[in-house]
Amino acid sequence: MKKGKSKKNRKSKKNLKRFAIFPVIICLCMLLFLGAVLAPTAGSLISIGSMFMSDKQVDYSKSYDNIFIPTDNESDTIDASEVEFPGINKQFGELRIKNRAVDAKLFFGDSSIPLRNGVGVYAGSFIPGYGRTILVAGHNNTFFNGLKNVKKGDTVEINTSYGNYSYKVTGTKLTTDTDKKAYDLTAEKENLVMYTCYPFDTLGLTNKRFFVYADKVSGPEITGLYE
Amino acid sequence: MKKIVAIIAAVAIVAFSTVTAFAAGLNASEQSVLSNMRSPANMKGNSVYVPASYINQAESYFNTIDMTADQAGRINGLISQGRSFLEGTGKASVSELTSAEKQTLLGYASAAAGVLKMSAAAGSDKSKVKIISKSGSVVVDDSGNVIKATGTESQLLSIVLISVLGGLFVLSSYGLIKGKRM
Repeated sequence: MKKGKSKKNRKSKKNLKRFAIFPVIICLCMLLFLGAVLAPTAGSLISIGSMFMSDKQVDYSKSYDNIFIPTDNESDTIDASEVEFPGINKQFGELRIKNRAVDAKLFFGDSSIPLRNGVGVYAGSFIPGYGRTILVAGHNNTFFNGLKNVKKGDTVEINTSYGNYSYKVTGTKLTTDTDKKAYDLTAEKENLVMYTCYPFDTLGLTNKRFFVYADKVSGPEITGLYE
Repeated sequence: MKKIVAIIAAVAIVAFSTVTAFAAGLNASEQSVLSNMRSPANMKGNSVYVPASYINQAESYFNTIDMTADQAGRINGLISQGRSFLEGTGKASVSELTSAEKQTLLGYASAAAGVLKMSAAAGSDKSKVKIISKSGSVVVDDSGNVIKATGTESQLLSIVLISVLGGLFVLSSYGLIKGKRM
């Protein structure tokens, strides 16, 4: 009778190990692993999680200002006094490449707000019409996934409140994120540089970037910048 | 008479409402600051320039404000003091500066930003600078690289994949333990 009881006790202890302690330890190990590996980018997960868990209604469309109003201005020039210069994280236009699945809101600045909602012009570069370099970033698995379809000769359209611009793709380049020769922020000629992470459907972080280069074809030049 | 006043008022409202909030354009004061920023510091015979990304960000910001001659004069004075300080350190490049020297340099940047009622903060390695306006919006942010990480949205997929793999690992190891016992 005693033997049977101790056997039963041992069995229940084993079951406790198997079905309670073991899964808890595994879960803790998994959490520690995820925490250590993904801590730097846990923000996106938290924000996605809060979307489902929070009772507050999150409206991402209101998390930025929009100064973009479509225009049909077809003049070759526009005076600086008529151009509202966008502040950081403001949507000021749209960027699209027809038949290449690229169609996005265009922001000034390339932090998480612009890149979550569209594509963003690096604040250390310039806006269309300024006659300088326009460096645009976009996520590879959302708004700039279509860059993989882009070919030399394609037309990139940028619409802003002060004018509509078109650029012709001159080439592409695959390089690293530290390659300073991939762009020229001192160029005195208007040129559009778009980039995204490579490979296009990569999981996790990568140091490779896919660049697309385009030259201005049409659109109003901003004049009277230097009073 | 009342009608005339009303018409004038209406015209004035329409006229003012069409004036853009931040018309682009750089006045003489803003141009003088940009020009000063472009002048190199002579560090032990090496010409050291402010990175183009900083100057471009400043230029973009100047397009959204109207700097006065007095503000430009004070900012230019601080830029010149910062340059003299750099040249006086006896170092050949900014990367050779000590933490205290970088802090002093940041002090000049902070004071220059303060003229426009903004504040400057250094990044973790003190070679990166962030300038924030009075309203809290970021004006200059060089705390990151020019080329950004543009694949972060895929982190969610990574987490799902790792979780699935982890789950499979748990199941298989549980099966192995069970198999061994049998």
